[in-house]
Amino acid sequence: MDFPSTQFVPSRMMGTYEPIHQIGMWGENFKSIGNPSISASVIVEVDNKLENESETASHEMPVPSCKHDQEASKPFDKIQRRLAQNREAARKSRLRKKAYVQQLESSRLKLIQLEKELEQAREQGLYIGGGLEAGHLGFSGVVNPGIAAFEMEYKHWMQVQNRQLGELRTALNAQISDIELRIVVENGMSHYFELFRMKSTVAKADVFYVMSGTWKTSAERFFSWIGGFRPSELLKVLVAQLDPLTDQQIFEVCNLKQSCQQAEDALSQGMEKLQETVSATLAAGQLGQGTYFPQVAMAMEKLEALVCFVNQADHLRQETLQQMSHILTTRQAARGLLALGEYIQRLQDLSTLWATHPREPA
Amino acid sequence: MQEAIPYKSYSTTTATAVGSRSPLLNFLGGGGGVVANGSESNIRKLVEEKAVVVFGRRGCCMCHVVMRLLLGHGVNPVVCEVEEGKEEAAIGELSRIDGGGDDDGGGGGGIQLPAVFVGGKMFGGLDRVMSTHISGELVPVLKDAGALWL
Repeated sequence: MDFPSTQFVPSRMMGTYEPIHQIGMWGENFKSIGNPSISASVIVEVDNKLENESETASHEMPVPSCKHDQEASKPFDKIQRRLAQNREAARKSRLRKKAYVQQLESSRLKLIQLEKELEQAREQGLYIGGGLEAGHLGFSGVVNPGIAAFEMEYKHWMQVQNRQLGELRTALNAQISDIELRIVVENGMSHYFELFRMKSTVAKADVFYVMSGTWKTSAERFFSWIGGFRPSELLKVLVAQLDPLTDQQIFEVCNLKQSCQQAEDALSQGMEKLQETVSATLAAGQLGQGTYFPQVAMAMEKLEALVCFVNQADHLRQETLQQMSHILTTRQAARGLLALGEYIQRLQDLSTLWATHPREPA
Repeated sequence: MQEAIPYKSYSTTTATAVGSRSPLLNFLGGGGGVVANGSESNIRKLVEEKAVVVFGRRGCCMCHVVMRLLLGHGVNPVVCEVEEGKEEAAIGELSRIDGGGDDDGGGGGGIQLPAVFVGGKMFGGLDRVMSTHISGELVPVLKDAGALWL
């Protein structure tokens, strides 16, 4: 018989929750009371000592002992004992189940609370200077491997970016040749193109992740447009830093600004149209009937277009960068890249300052 | 053998000003003019006759972006809606019309919707329109095809 062992299984499985301790104690109580139906040793004794009927009678067995009809009553005894054991086992099982369910309920509540706290902590800027905390990394790994991979790559990307900015500063201050400077500029450009490739990959895994800009600092997110900076905004910042420009350059930059703005407007209007389409699809039919899966499935299909938009926006950013590098001299391009990089660094510092700025308690 | 492929084609009304939304809304609402039933020869004729033709799925938002860019230049593109489920047939159709003369689209089945034809030849998708728009190459191409007057 395995009763003594089974009553302890719950406490091993479930750790330190009180209900289980109660079960354990409850089991103990039974042992000390000497309830015959769970006390296997007693039953085994009885089985083995059937000749000794006085002993049988002395235990509180519900089975009547009959000195003369031992043979006939033996099977009946066994059946009765078995039934009693079953009843007791079932009762214990029910109690264990109840305790387990209680434990699940409280775990669930705890989990919900923890998730809320984690979300709040993320909102309030666990990200300092564009970097990501290691703890967040682990959490993302559970959520989506594509995201976890991207976050690791982005962290590395920022480190390379900062190193390249240092190289640009040094190169501009030293008197290196145009050819050498050109290499530094090309490296800087390629580095940005690498970021667009990374974003394209993670957009396939989770486009909302890219759209939300979770991987950037809060101030960067403030300026977010379809998963990144507005090219026209960056152009404005750049051009102010690039004096003196030749007349030809001024003309070309002006054209670029205008084309960029037009392309942005076209993409923005496309996004509006996408919102209208998804909204209309989702709201189709009667709202309030309770059955709506087809609408949701169709809306999801429409939403796939969002990946295209993110890709096109990054494509626009890349083309704008390329065109600028064609218009500018090597030296100007180097200064431009440095200015851009430092502007983004200032945004990231702003985010850090904001996060650590003392605020009035809520 | 000619298959009737379910196309609907519209001409947009004249674009009044850069950034004006009305021509596009007319198109989308199906309020613009001619509905032709598209057989292969019709489509071929359309592509050869009209300076700029845009093929796209109905209600496609990327198509909307292409249209905005082209309208912004003052171009009057003809839009051909491809019916749902007939995209593959349409793409095969367009590759045949293109005849592999222009490799920019990636050749053969490389065509993606929305697809833009300029001057009777396959120009490309939104990617190409965007890059030529930024680099400034788009306007000369449009002018050459007679889609634009100064």
